Amino acid sequence: MATGIFSKEVAVFAVPIVTLLLGLLIGYLAQRSGYCSIGGFRDYFLFRHTRLLFGYFTLIIASFAGYLFFWFITPAAMEHFFWAVTSGPANPMPGAPVGLNAVAYLLFAIVPGFLVGIIAVLLGGCPIRQTVMASEGNYKAAWFFLGMCVGSIIFAAFISGWVIAVMKTLGFGA
Amino acid sequence: MAWECVFKYLSAQVFFSYEPINKCISKNTYLFKAFRFGMLLDHGLIVSSVSWSALLRHPAFLGAVIGILAAFSQVLLISAGGPEAYGFCVACHTRDLINGLTNIVANTDLALAAISKNSLLPVMSVVGVLIGGYIAATLNREHKVRKGSTKEYIIYFLSGILVLNLAMLFGGCPYRAALRTGYGDLTAIIFIAAMASGVILGAYLMLKKAEKEQG
Repeated sequence: MATGIFSKEVAVFAVPIVTLLLGLLIGYLAQRSGYCSIGGFRDYFLFRHTRLLFGYFTLIIASFAGYLFFWFITPAAMEHFFWAVTSGPANPMPGAPVGLNAVAYLLFAIVPGFLVGIIAVLLGGCPIRQTVMASEGNYKAAWFFLGMCVGSIIFAAFISGWVIAVMKTLGFGA
Repeated sequence: MAWECVFKYLSAQVFFSYEPINKCISKNTYLFKAFRFGMLLDHGLIVSSVSWSALLRHPAFLGAVIGILAAFSQVLLISAGGPEAYGFCVACHTRDLINGLTNIVANTDLALAAISKNSLLPVMSVVGVLIGGYIAATLNREHKVRKGSTKEYIIYFLSGILVLNLAMLFGGCPYRAALRTGYGDLTAIIFIAAMASGVILGAYLMLKKAEKEQG
């Protein structure tokens, strides 16, 4: 069990507060910079603009640097850093539906990634851009955010179980 | 002579044309060089000093902020449980927020990450993004109501449902994919590559559609 700076009793109270403050800062800066991951790839492909793409690649590099830095300071909080070394390269991090094999998780990376890319570029922004546009007063983006809220209940109640059942029937069970 | 040039320089500032100055001042004089320096400054070709507002408005600064603070929030909060590399994610944190609040209000048992399940309240970063974006837009007078048609609302609503479900199948939106890549998960690199190819196909479709409309 990984342990951070806060003990479990404190962390239970700190989770909403720390994430709210982090979200406030990110929301403010995202509105100022027009940050968008999908927009980065789109602008590079259409106009060869690298501004947003640079922002997304900076995120990847900075997260690696941040995790590496804090791994040196508090190794107990970064139990499985560097994931490909500690847990195997074919093994994905938790987050996707559990109980499937490596091929299924590879499919879950390729197919949803491709579809998210197409849908988001046609709508004009990735989830964070839509959320920020909703807070700027864009009604279409607000409906997108509402769809994400409804979709989260739909996923937990139906889709997650169905997908696991279908994938296990197709022979992708662990 | 000099005053005339200053006047023309100021009027050129208004009309964004520097033609009068080039005719007015003979080249290679000190005054000409000074004005040329001013022109380059105006066009943003020279940065005279480090500008904090320009830094705050650069996407790379936000990328660095998210990356480092996501790692820091994991150091602070990992004792509450939950997956690693979970510092910031729009799709997962929306899922945690909505399902966690639904569990509290309606006493259901919808699935969510352990960090939100164990805590008093689920992760709040999406609420923070909404409020932070509203504050930034209001302070800088960029808040503007933009409405669409009912058909567009339905399309955006359904795509919101679809995008969240697809992102949850992978286990993160583009931001958690970046954090997972930084944490060493090779599946996330494949997700980013697939997303980039999807974006290229979508942008190509948009380009074709725009060309067809133009004739």
